[in-house]
Amino acid sequence: MKKGGLLALSLAIATVALIVIGCVWPVQAALPFIIQKPLLTSSSTPEAAVQVLGQEIQAHNWAKAYEAFANKAQFTEPEFELDLTGYTTNLRTYSTLDHFKAWPLHASADEADIRLELDWATVVGTSVMTRDLHVVRTGDHWNVNWPLTKQPIVPPQVIPVNYLRWDVIYRGAGDDWGAQDVNAPSVRIIDMHPVQRADGVVVMGELLNDDVVPAYVSMSAILQAKDKSPIAKEEAFDKISHVLLPKQITPFLIQFPDVRLSQVDSIDMKPFSILVPASADPVIAIDNEKFNPSPNASLTGQLINQSGQVVNVAHVLGTLYDKSGQLVWVVDQYVDSALLPQTPVAFNIQIPDDIAKKVSTERTVVATFSFGGLL
Amino acid sequence: MKKSEPLESWERPIPLSLLFMVALAVHLPLLLMKLPLQSYDTNFHIFFSSHYVDHWFDPWNTKWFAGFSQATYPPMPHYWIAVLSRIMGLDLAYMAVQMIAILLLVVGVYRFSLLWVRPRAASIAALASIFLGSESFLIYNAGQLPTTTAAPLYLIALPFLYEWLRHGHGRPFIKATVLFIAAAAGHHLTLLFGSFIFALPVVGLALLDRRDGESTSASLILGRAIAIVSAVSVIIGVVLLPFWLSLLHHPIDQTTIPHASRANFILSPEWGLNYFILPYGALILAVPFIFIRGSSETRLRPLLFGFWVTFILGLGGTTPLGHWLLGHAFEVLTMERFSYWAGLLALPFVGLLSVKLIDRFRFWAVGSLAVMAVWTCAMGVAWGTYRITNARDVNVNVVADWLNRGGHDQYRYFTLGFGNSISRLAVMTDASSVDGEWYTGRLLPELTRYGGASLTQAKYFGTAGLESLRAIMMHADKYGLKWIFSNDPYYDPLLSLAGWRPVDYLDNKTITVWAKDGVPPAMPVNVAQRPPRWQGLIWGTLPFGSSILAILVFLIPERRRKQTRAEYPMSEDEVETQRVAS
Repeated sequence: MKKGGLLALSLAIATVALIVIGCVWPVQAALPFIIQKPLLTSSSTPEAAVQVLGQEIQAHNWAKAYEAFANKAQFTEPEFELDLTGYTTNLRTYSTLDHFKAWPLHASADEADIRLELDWATVVGTSVMTRDLHVVRTGDHWNVNWPLTKQPIVPPQVIPVNYLRWDVIYRGAGDDWGAQDVNAPSVRIIDMHPVQRADGVVVMGELLNDDVVPAYVSMSAILQAKDKSPIAKEEAFDKISHVLLPKQITPFLIQFPDVRLSQVDSIDMKPFSILVPASADPVIAIDNEKFNPSPNASLTGQLINQSGQVVNVAHVLGTLYDKSGQLVWVVDQYVDSALLPQTPVAFNIQIPDDIAKKVSTERTVVATFSFGGLL
Repeated sequence: MKKSEPLESWERPIPLSLLFMVALAVHLPLLLMKLPLQSYDTNFHIFFSSHYVDHWFDPWNTKWFAGFSQATYPPMPHYWIAVLSRIMGLDLAYMAVQMIAILLLVVGVYRFSLLWVRPRAASIAALASIFLGSESFLIYNAGQLPTTTAAPLYLIALPFLYEWLRHGHGRPFIKATVLFIAAAAGHHLTLLFGSFIFALPVVGLALLDRRDGESTSASLILGRAIAIVSAVSVIIGVVLLPFWLSLLHHPIDQTTIPHASRANFILSPEWGLNYFILPYGALILAVPFIFIRGSSETRLRPLLFGFWVTFILGLGGTTPLGHWLLGHAFEVLTMERFSYWAGLLALPFVGLLSVKLIDRFRFWAVGSLAVMAVWTCAMGVAWGTYRITNARDVNVNVVADWLNRGGHDQYRYFTLGFGNSISRLAVMTDASSVDGEWYTGRLLPELTRYGGASLTQAKYFGTAGLESLRAIMMHADKYGLKWIFSNDPYYDPLLSLAGWRPVDYLDNKTITVWAKDGVPPAMPVNVAQRPPRWQGLIWGTLPFGSSILAILVFLIPERRRKQTRAEYPMSEDEVETQRVAS
């Protein structure tokens, strides 16, 4: 070989070898950007077919995912996309698929059932969607039957609007929001107590709008040591309904991670309220509300939007009481479907088993958000 | 000698003055159009500079992250922008410093190439540096002013290093040392990695050349290398002392933020286009020549090895080499700078190849090379137009006006959906934000724990970004965080259900101002991390002073050479075998 030729060839081979290694076993830092199918993945097993589907969904590659379905004749590609992202704008519409898991439920030579769990990163946290997929063998590869959820159809109707509404007249255009020169609405903590949990202290309770005007409320708490020095200050954030109509009650839950209750001598509760414009609309009814005891304790029910406008995001807050009527826990869940008028949407909130044993009754409130209904 | 007749014009080196004119003709109009303002980081560097305008001796900046130290980033180019901004404003001052860096690169590449090839090839290499795709990419898309400032200084220093290693004179030792320090004051990573990538081939070259002319032993060369490394290390330790102390107190242990330059460019081809095709452009066609020619010439082998390692590192996660060699640093560094450095190392080869082609094909070669060079440069410049890197439509003027009136700046704020415009906004207001773009400077645990980048682009980082956003919002009271400016309705459900309320609309209702009531005015946080006054004095004096010193030292005339190099009658396709520094 010519002088230096061996060196050039060696470098070329080393380059190709490194690239091949990098493609077959991608480094961790490269994984978040891989939207192509890994080179060694195929649909040669039921699990692999579901894995490929998960990757296509993650990459928003709806066309490729749709093309691989065994039952694609039963629905269109846009219907499949809307089934995942929502027919009406909701939490999942703008979310990304953070990760997914699949595990077999049943398998034979020609068909299999596999459960696919899709964990969506939504703006309010992770939203988990589970679908049981029937996978069938076609020649030497497997195809998924996608269980499409059809869009509910709302019949044409007229809904009379007769809800209460409170407007606030501010001093002038130059006013900043909040500088009102009026007394804050009267709010009252009607129940509060701390609990030690594995990950820290939890302070929960209920807050009542004791006034005749609506109030924006928030709740924070300061844990204090014996010498009254603050240990930690936290707020309820979204574990509270922030807008309370007159005489309305909201539960609240404040988490203090990495704090022991034994360190705490006293708790300084800081309710905050301010007068805001508000309306009773949209009215969300809760139907079939039910506490399901252990095992797999849960709070279930259906939300029914009794108003004429679409609610894009609903947040269910459940308050659980023991036999004596004492508050024992507060649970919450974001519903990942929009609430269409008069259309029930189910919710199912898991309850820790140790707490479920104490629960006797429950009460549920719903906070809502609609795009375009801000100021 | 075969020839005695006068050399044809294309057989002579291109004069430096002409190279400067070409550089000005290509880049000055683009810079006067302020094209870099659309890049990722330009506004970030302008923001850093704007702080030094008013706080020359205080690197503590309260405008981002509720307070952070700018001593976490070497400041030399920022200080120069701050100085020039007194005359021409921040934007044009940035462009002026960038233009100077481009001109310095011409000099640097010419001098560096002279170590390896003859002047004609070196001058073509310097010409190619003006059109280098990765240079255009870094200037007009990445906005990496410090990288593009430090590399030329480093290249200018390397021939002095070679001369010191070969001949041991004091003058090249001082010149190399001062220039290395100025380069480090511009960009720390260039020095840390440049030591291996650029300097080791030069040390290798000195060893290969040790018997030519004035004979030098290998041990003496290595001894001299250790001496200059020791001197430079000690002085850089002092010049950038606040930087090292900051690194010592706050080692980079944040959760890693994904960066596409670490992607696998084959499995993620859109990033391959962004970080491989565009930066290299037509240079990709020269890679086989680099391998063959670099292998066949013993003297070019150190350069070939340097290029190869840098080239592979520049491929990011396409190969595992970066992960193997750099370890955790691979998860922190952005790798496009390696492509830039690989491009610089390839330029002497490009000069050689061009000479070979021009000698053989004359005008056809010149024309083809010119077209490829212009195309490579143009794509590097224009890429930001085709692949928008910034939320350009955000009108930050109205947000700044809003913050600057009625005492709104007593509270902290952050933005959502503003992209890189947050740097521009920060320049225009005195209000303090809990967000920012210099992730190494972050101290708030809500920002460092989750692996998200800036809050304004939280949704692009999935669960990590959104968890970080929720965490900072939960502690709004603690940080005096009252305002959120949202340009993206995606976040509206969270803001609304977490108790924030819209209080105003700006810019034709494209920006919503959200507020949280009951928040106390912002109080200083992270005060314990504030660099003491003496560190501020060092920071405001030594790094900038090192660049002044570098200018003065560089102007010291060279010793007269024994041999004159006015004529180059041999074929330019031969590699220089006896090298001098200038």
